[in-house]
Amino acid sequence: MKTKDDKSTGGDPNSDASWLERNVNVVIAGLVIACIGSLIAQLWWSPLFDAEHGHPPEFAIEELFGFEAMFGFAAFVGVVFLGTGLRLIIKRDEDYYDS
Amino acid sequence: MIHNLPPGLIMVLGALLLPFLGQRLSAWGALILSSLSLAAFWTTPELHVVTLNLFGQDLNIVRIDRWSWIFGLVFHFAAIIASIYALHVKDTKQHVAGMIYAGSAIAACCAGDLITLFVCWELTAVSSVFLIWANGTETAYRSGMRYLIIQVTSGVLLLSGAIIHYHQTGSLVFENFLGLEPGQRGSVGDLEFGPLLILIAFGIKGAFPLLHNWLQDSYPNGTATGTVFLSAFTTKLAIYSLARGFAGLEELIWIGCAMTLFPIVFAVIENDLRRVLAYSLNNQLGFMVVGIGIGTELALNGTAAHAFCHIIYKSLLFMSMGAVLHRVGTTKATELGGLHKSMPLTTVFCMIGGGAIAGFPLLSGFVSKSMIISAAGYEHMFAVWIILLIASAGVMEHSGIKIPFFAFFAHDSGKRVKEAPWNMLTAMAIASFCCIAIGVYYQPLYDMLPFETHYEPYTAAHVIMQLQLLLFAALAFVFLMKANLYPAEIRSTNLDTDWVYRRFLPRLIAHVGKLIQLIDSLVRFACLSMIKRFLNWLSKSCSARGWLGSTWSTSSMAFWAAALLGVFLILYYL
Repeated sequence: MKTKDDKSTGGDPNSDASWLERNVNVVIAGLVIACIGSLIAQLWWSPLFDAEHGHPPEFAIEELFGFEAMFGFAAFVGVVFLGTGLRLIIKRDEDYYDS
Repeated sequence: MIHNLPPGLIMVLGALLLPFLGQRLSAWGALILSSLSLAAFWTTPELHVVTLNLFGQDLNIVRIDRWSWIFGLVFHFAAIIASIYALHVKDTKQHVAGMIYAGSAIAACCAGDLITLFVCWELTAVSSVFLIWANGTETAYRSGMRYLIIQVTSGVLLLSGAIIHYHQTGSLVFENFLGLEPGQRGSVGDLEFGPLLILIAFGIKGAFPLLHNWLQDSYPNGTATGTVFLSAFTTKLAIYSLARGFAGLEELIWIGCAMTLFPIVFAVIENDLRRVLAYSLNNQLGFMVVGIGIGTELALNGTAAHAFCHIIYKSLLFMSMGAVLHRVGTTKATELGGLHKSMPLTTVFCMIGGGAIAGFPLLSGFVSKSMIISAAGYEHMFAVWIILLIASAGVMEHSGIKIPFFAFFAHDSGKRVKEAPWNMLTAMAIASFCCIAIGVYYQPLYDMLPFETHYEPYTAAHVIMQLQLLLFAALAFVFLMKANLYPAEIRSTNLDTDWVYRRFLPRLIAHVGKLIQLIDSLVRFACLSMIKRFLNWLSKSCSARGWLGSTWSTSSMAFWAAALLGVFLILYYL
């Protein structure tokens, strides 16, 4: 609950942009590099996918290069699109139950 | 002596003394009570059972084995963290409710019979509703009423099931109702009617699909601190109970899969971030229910480990949103953004919670969730495995990205507030530390699990696979945002199953009521008309000119008298 001395004050959002806000592209570039790094790591560490070193793949599809990367991307997009579609059906006014 | 009492009783009874401490000290009293209870619990001998003979029936009011131990321990941690988080609250009734709620949940997970479980089950329901009502709004009051009705219904089903089960078997012991050992599976068809009712009772509290919506309805309406308590106990008590009573029940695998999937879609379009967390909680319960359904030692260990980690990181996420609510007054994404400038520590804690729930390596979710996914893999359940992977990407969407992004980053709302109070920050720091500590040094957690395990989460393959999944999911978010394809946050209400009892049933009842009223008025009108017509006819007939009221002629009178006598004569001779 908001207390007396905790009132939020409106300010000019652009006047005090943080480092993150000024360097969004750097953050995105970092993410892309990390993604590429995870793919390279799979190539590099592929011998460790053997049962001898780690847990063996339970399904053949796991051995497909970049499977989890593609799956993560596609699943995320799929979930978001499903949500967008669902909104068309279930969205109502904010005070729907109060009216 | 103290070990012969149900664990958590210190908190339940001690809570009754809190009002005498006054508003300022009651918060500290709650913290001391939960710490004392933990100390007592910590020193309880392993495999401890206390039997009480009541009305000729032996009740195991205390049964502490490895299942009870891990849940009892994490419930105590959650109570302590939530008590620290609520130290600034000067509303004594919230502390009383919080302590009774936490204490009864702890006692429930240490109950060895169905009657003790039922008593604690109902006590959690009745006490926790005050954490919603404490919000003081009309919306919270109504939501609390719905919550109470549903929770009490669950308790009634549990009691009914227990009585029927006792009638059928003569036993009230709370154990696997199918008599399954780890690794064995059964189906709902094998269940008697009593256990079936108990399963439904657990399903209500565990937020099974279609029975789930009390969770998203009530938790966002609790107080900033109350919701932290709520997030820890009710649903995890259901998970404990399911694991104890129905491990290996095959249908739970598919129920769990549905639970992991549908909430992530709802979470995408939800504007209230505490409601997003409620959907996220539902999704995480799904992983645990799948583990219970698979029923192998690894899957059950995964369920216990995931419940342990989940309670901590979910509390952390609810605490971060509670801090936002406390400072800003809302958790609606449309009104937030840019808070990382004024609440940097809360931002970091929220991101740690988000990372933990998403399952990033070195955080707690990674070492627990992977056990369940691996268990599905080891059992060669491809469809289940795929669904859990989709759900993992979904978790990344709603809790790993959406919550921190829309609250603390996104478009700057221009709101400049104070950082959260010291006690909130302390509680969040402890929870964050636990998330990291468990993720890095997981062995103590694994040693506590119900079954011995040699599972190794940090294989190169597993770490790389998980990183690929999460990093590319994050990349998908960037792509959707840049392409303007991510759905904008909108002030709205999204319909869910609560529509049935909040809108459809009341309207149906109203319409049926109107129909009955209409039929009633038609029948009344018809009857009254008939009576009126009869009275008119009677009045007419008896009037001076009516056939009954008019004066008859002497000849008519003589004729009718003779006719009457004639009839009488005939009847006499017959």
